[in-house]
Amino acid sequence: MQTAFMKAISLIMTADASLIDILITTAKTSITSSLIALIIGVPLGILLGAGAFKGRGILVMLNRTLMGMPPVVCGLLFYMLFSGVGPFRHLRLLFTVEVMILAQTVLITPIVAGNMESFVSGISELIKETAKGLGLGRIKTFYLIMNESVYQIFSAYLLAFARAIAEVGAVSMVGGAIAWKTNVMTTAIMQYTNMGDFALGIALGIILMAISLLVNIVLYVLQRRLSR
Amino acid sequence: MKIRAFSKTYNGKTVLKTEDMFFGKGKIYAVIGANGSGKSTFAKIISAIEKADDGRSVTDGESIGYMSQKSFPFRMSVKENVMLKVKDETLADTLMEWLEIKHLSEHNAKGLSGGETARMALARILMEKYDMVIFDEPCASMDMKSTLLSEEIIRDYCGDKECVVILITHSLSQAKRVADEIIFINEGRIVEQGETQKILENPEKEETREFIRFYGI
Repeated sequence: MQTAFMKAISLIMTADASLIDILITTAKTSITSSLIALIIGVPLGILLGAGAFKGRGILVMLNRTLMGMPPVVCGLLFYMLFSGVGPFRHLRLLFTVEVMILAQTVLITPIVAGNMESFVSGISELIKETAKGLGLGRIKTFYLIMNESVYQIFSAYLLAFARAIAEVGAVSMVGGAIAWKTNVMTTAIMQYTNMGDFALGIALGIILMAISLLVNIVLYVLQRRLSR
Repeated sequence: MKIRAFSKTYNGKTVLKTEDMFFGKGKIYAVIGANGSGKSTFAKIISAIEKADDGRSVTDGESIGYMSQKSFPFRMSVKENVMLKVKDETLADTLMEWLEIKHLSEHNAKGLSGGETARMALARILMEKYDMVIFDEPCASMDMKSTLLSEEIIRDYCGDKECVVILITHSLSQAKRVADEIIFINEGRIVEQGETQKILENPEKEETREFIRFYGI
C-alpha cells in the first residue's frame, strides 16, 4: 500500500506519459461538456426561472427529474443511439471523445439549468417589475437578469464541471475506456484497479480530489459573495 | 388621460373593479386606502405590470412609468442604475444632487440603505418624460427629510413635464401635502374621488369618513 502510494507520487512528480494523456482526455471532455452545458443551461434556466408561459411548471419538473438522471441511463441512451443498431451508427462516434462529450452535456445541462432556474425565480419578479416600470425591453431585462446572476453562473458552471469530471457511468459506456484514446480519470481508476495497478489509480485519485477541493474552495468563496 | 374600466380577479375572487377614469395633465392624484384594498393592483394594471381580466391595455398607448415600492438596486454603480433607461449624464448628476445621493454615484447600488435605494429609484424613474408616472409608496423606507425632499421633486417633475402623477400612499398627511386630488379605494372599489381638501375635510361617503377618522392626518 505504502509502495503504491509512493509510486503514485512519483508518477505525478515525473509527469508520467499515460497519466498526462488521461488528464488531457479528462480535461478535454469535462471542460467542453461543461462549457456547452453552460451555454445551453444558462438561458434555459433564466427562461424557466423568469418566464411566464404555459407549461413552465411541467418543464421545471422535467428538468428537475433530468438533474437526477443516473449516468448509466444516459450512457445506455447514447450507446443505443450510436451503436451498430442505433439511428446514428453511420456517424461512427461510439467510443470517441465526441460522444463522451455529448453524453456528459446531456447529463449536466439540467444541473446548470436547474441551478439558474432556482436562483432566477427568486429575483426575477422584482427585476421584471422594475424593468417594465422603466419601459425597458425584453433583451435589456434578460441582460439585467444575467448581470444579477454572474456569481450564480460561475457557481453553476463549477458544479457542472465537478459532476462531469467525477462521472463514470456514461463515459465508460459510450467511451469504452480505451487507453490513449477515451480513458478519463474515473474510468482509468476503475480499469487500473481491476488490473491490480494501484499506483496510477491512486495518482489519479489524488489529482481528482485536489480538483474537487479546488472547485469547492471557489464555490465557497462565490457562495459567500452571493449571500452578501 | 383616460383609463378605461377594468377588473382584476385572483383565484375566482374579484379584488378590484373600476369605472372609466379621467386624469388631468400636470396634476397629482393620491390613491389612498387600507392595506389589501387594491391600491397596488390598481397601480400595476394601469402601468401594465399586470393584466386586467380581459387582457387588454387600460390606456390608449400613453407612456407610463412605474416605481415599485420594492425598488430593485441592480448590481452596478448608483449612476449606472440611474442612467439605465436614459443615458443623460448631466440630468443624472442633477437628479442625484437634488436627491442627495450624488456622493454615492460611483458606489455599488447593492450597498445602499433602504432610503438611499428608494431615492436612487426615484432618480431613475424621473430621468424619463412619461405621460403618466405611478409611484407605489415611494417614500415608505425614507426618513422625514428625504420624504419631504422627494415630494418636492415629484411635484416639480409633474409640473415641468405636464404629466399625470399617481401616488399610491397610505399616509393621509402625504396625500394632503402633495396631491391635487384623492382617490379612495376600499375593498376593491373606488369609493370616492375629488379634490384633496374636500375629501379630507368633507367626504361624501361614510366609508371615506370612517377611513379618515381611523387613520387620521
